[in-house]
Amino acid sequence: MGRPGLNRRQLLAGLGGLTVAGSFGFAALGTGADALASGADTRVRYWNLFSGGDGYNMIAMLDAFRAEHPGIDVKDSTLQWGSPFYTKLAMAAAGNRAPDLGVMHLGRVTGFSPGRLLDPWDVDLLAEYGVHEADFNPALWKRAVIGGELYALPLDIHVQLCFYRRDVLRKAGLLDADGRMLSPASPDEWFAMLKEARGATGKGLQTIGLWHNDQNFQWWFFVAFYTQLGGTWFDAADTEVTFDTDKAARVLQFLRRHVADGYANPDYGGGAGAEQFVNGSPFCWEGNWSVPVFDSAEVDYGATPLPPVFGRPATHAESHAFVLPHQAGRGGAADEAAHRLAAYVVTHARQWAAGGHIPAYTPTLSTAAYRALKPQSEYVSAMDHQATEPKVWFAGSTGILAQRVGPIVVSATTGSARPEAAARRMRSTLTELLATKNPMDGRTAAQGGAAA
Amino acid sequence: MTTTSAETVLRPARAGTAAGTATVRRGQGFQHGGWFVAPFLALFALFVIWPLLRGLYLSFTDANISGDGASFVGLDNYREALQDPLVWDALGHSAFFTLLVVPAITVLAFLLAMLAHHIERGTWLWRLCFFLPFLLPSTVAGNLWQWLFNPGTGMVNHVLGLDTPWLTDKSYAMLAVVVCTLWWTVGFSFLLYLAALQGIPAHLYEAARLDGAGAWHRMVHITLPMLRNITGLVVALQILASLQVFDQAVVMQDFGTGPEESTRTFVQYTLEQGFTSYRVGYASATSIIFFVLIAAVALGRMWLLRNREEGGR
Amino acid sequence: MTTAVRISGRRPWTPGQIVLTLLGAAVSAVILAPLVWALCTSLKSETEAVEVPPHWLPRHVTGQAWSAVLENGNLTDWLVNSLVVSVCVTTVVLLVSALAGYGFARTEFRGKAALMGVVMTGLMVSPAVLGVPLFTTVQQMGMVDTYWGMILPQCAPAAMVYILYKFFQGVPRELEEAAFIDGAGRWRVFFTIILPLSRPSLAAVGIFTFIGSWNNFLWPYMVTNNPDLMTMPNGIATVMNSYGIQWAQLMAGGLMAGLPLIVVFVFFQRQIVAGVAHTGLAGQ
Repeated sequence: MGRPGLNRRQLLAGLGGLTVAGSFGFAALGTGADALASGADTRVRYWNLFSGGDGYNMIAMLDAFRAEHPGIDVKDSTLQWGSPFYTKLAMAAAGNRAPDLGVMHLGRVTGFSPGRLLDPWDVDLLAEYGVHEADFNPALWKRAVIGGELYALPLDIHVQLCFYRRDVLRKAGLLDADGRMLSPASPDEWFAMLKEARGATGKGLQTIGLWHNDQNFQWWFFVAFYTQLGGTWFDAADTEVTFDTDKAARVLQFLRRHVADGYANPDYGGGAGAEQFVNGSPFCWEGNWSVPVFDSAEVDYGATPLPPVFGRPATHAESHAFVLPHQAGRGGAADEAAHRLAAYVVTHARQWAAGGHIPAYTPTLSTAAYRALKPQSEYVSAMDHQATEPKVWFAGSTGILAQRVGPIVVSATTGSARPEAAARRMRSTLTELLATKNPMDGRTAAQGGAAA
Repeated sequence: MTTTSAETVLRPARAGTAAGTATVRRGQGFQHGGWFVAPFLALFALFVIWPLLRGLYLSFTDANISGDGASFVGLDNYREALQDPLVWDALGHSAFFTLLVVPAITVLAFLLAMLAHHIERGTWLWRLCFFLPFLLPSTVAGNLWQWLFNPGTGMVNHVLGLDTPWLTDKSYAMLAVVVCTLWWTVGFSFLLYLAALQGIPAHLYEAARLDGAGAWHRMVHITLPMLRNITGLVVALQILASLQVFDQAVVMQDFGTGPEESTRTFVQYTLEQGFTSYRVGYASATSIIFFVLIAAVALGRMWLLRNREEGGR
Repeated sequence: MTTAVRISGRRPWTPGQIVLTLLGAAVSAVILAPLVWALCTSLKSETEAVEVPPHWLPRHVTGQAWSAVLENGNLTDWLVNSLVVSVCVTTVVLLVSALAGYGFARTEFRGKAALMGVVMTGLMVSPAVLGVPLFTTVQQMGMVDTYWGMILPQCAPAAMVYILYKFFQGVPRELEEAAFIDGAGRWRVFFTIILPLSRPSLAAVGIFTFIGSWNNFLWPYMVTNNPDLMTMPNGIATVMNSYGIQWAQLMAGGLMAGLPLIVVFVFFQRQIVAGVAHTGLAGQ
């Protein structure tokens, strides 16, 4: 220990050198620690966007799959939901580093450039694993077929719901004999109900949470009520905008009134609406994916499709679907395992229904186990009254349409724009989008951007 | 290598006596100079110059993210960009952010540096405290402030007894990003100021004190003039960095554009166009516009500096 | 250093010093409060963390958030990735910018002035400004979702070359000339004389590069989509675990991401401060 200083320096230099060498070596290997550690024969990289209750269920289903197929290592990654997810998926596919399996909203498939960013499913291989076209709602299946090829394997239909607390509504006298919420037939009836409910609501709680400053939810609610009014978007050839600004203004006025009349507290937009609901607020409008959240909070609640205040029932509906992001060398063991995994999840979707979603695989719907699920059985009718976005390349969950028009709806709901002005802005945005070429193939919606 | 440092201390004595050094140097340099800069230039050409030229080329096409089938569209992208209200909105948001952040950070950094400089005990502790947030990744800072501003559970409103909808109201959302940015980055400018303060020769102050100048007088006539250069640097660096704001803003709004799109910055809009709408050509055009803007700011500063130097002589 | 001189002199507590010290303590408390809040949150259970109204100290201290984050595995992968990327970037940057800075400062070659001008334009280019074209370039090279795709574009910082260029200009020429007379070549002079002399400057550049690379979000965010390859700042922001936003875990993860640099800072404070000040001041 004569010259400890030198030894320490040598040690540090050695350590530093090792770190540098190790880092370069690791970078050269290039696969990341997780892939290095994996010992399985086949590794399926699977990206999804399921958080919250859906996350629990998806993981449970993956674990069941893993238990049955020990030779396949499923590496699932949950990415931030919304446009970041689609951005990541598109960039990975464009850079030829896509995962083996992905999840998308069905409405996004058309705009996601099937053939370039997505690979088609091998229908024969799917049949081998038990998935047949006959077991799906034909309209749903058709939406997934583009140019004769199946580009998406539907997993579910999910809808926007009106959640209500039985305990509060009972006090307010708003339940029918079966303990279900009364169905309002006009906006005035609905606001009368809200007024009653407010009287029965505890202190410091809002009456309804409706994500008034969230551009996605507000857009979905708009689509639902606009469809209730019988509003349309474009003509059949996708050349003319048929958007009705009067109807739109009525919907915007309706949404606005919740905030203006103080039923929705401006401070509790967003996820705080669900927290308020758990704490005793009587209503919240949420996606059906909130079912497990409220179940685990042991709230006494029910759920119906959004109230049919404009006469005809309709509520916004979308669909989660499995896709094969484009890989230059698709095929082989990982690809087969991706088919097997997707087929397994789709056919074992009862677990998925616990997350509030309506399974796309119809044999599931007729099982006794599914029928016993509550409140799922209360809103399964929503499947017959779907309000969907127009079938054009710029539509789909968090797509360009929602990104451009959603904020306009929000500006009306929050009161920073008048409903009439907002409706006119929506129309001009729709006109602009209809004339816009899909950057992936240089064609407008009318020229066949919407093969669906 | 450790032994040579001792030699180098001895060598200068001999250097001066050497004859013909100029020719030696010229000869040696000419032989090898290019090789010294070659590795850097290779990387620089690949990852700076080439993307710049490529961006310029792409901005005249309708290229998409898949990288094939682009056709020439002339100035269409630029024409569209100049008429795109969202481009101007996004630019406005970035400019608004810059306008708030730059003066605030400059003043705060200066005050913190004065404080740390004048407390006689525990300088290292103050330095550590004031600089610490800068060591966090931007996304962590963003998440942290998202949590602090969270409705209901947020500590900021709780401590201040407020009920402000920081993240959900368009008149506060950008302000929340500004607060986060101040907290996160003030430490860097603080260190620059502190270093500059410590670099002011002590004899200036002593002379002033002998002349009977008070503390205020010393600050106005010695400290502030001596800090003029560093202030110019801090302001310039902050302007350039603030115009390029992205990370905190998107993280605090969950990668959205904020209430009524009030926090969509220019960088975010360009990335949306390129990676969400797949319009690489258009995004390249907005990138080039942004590059020109940034370059104008940087060149403007150089021009100011040169003018000042010439005026000083 | 001036600080050392001031600390060693034992001065009495004057009223002014007391006021200033208290003020400093108050300001520090405000600046550190968010971090304390993050720590407190990370030690709560997820349900206690979202209680309204919020409270500072956990009623039941639990390490569940920390252990969950560690067990999940993603976070440790990202730490490794961050380390790999930052070390590689720092090494390459030190090497190429030292060579280039010296080349520009002390050697002659055709077109040097013009090249120097071109390099200066690099000061205005960043992934924030030219991210989209940079992405397509890296895409062409087939380096999307690779470590090299993350590393190499961070390895051409004109600013670092400029800082070292300025430093090398200040090194007395006599040192080199003596060595040339002894018959040493350019390369030997550079490695045996110049590099050891410039250790403080290199440390400054290295530290600054490391901090920048460790905390870099935008470029890794653009070029990596595969969660296995993500660095810490990117992973925390874009990948959630499958159970939704859980604030206690998010805070634990954030602190874990910040901790390595904070520890390094506490130990190497003087070098880092000198480094940041040095790199910053060189831009004057």
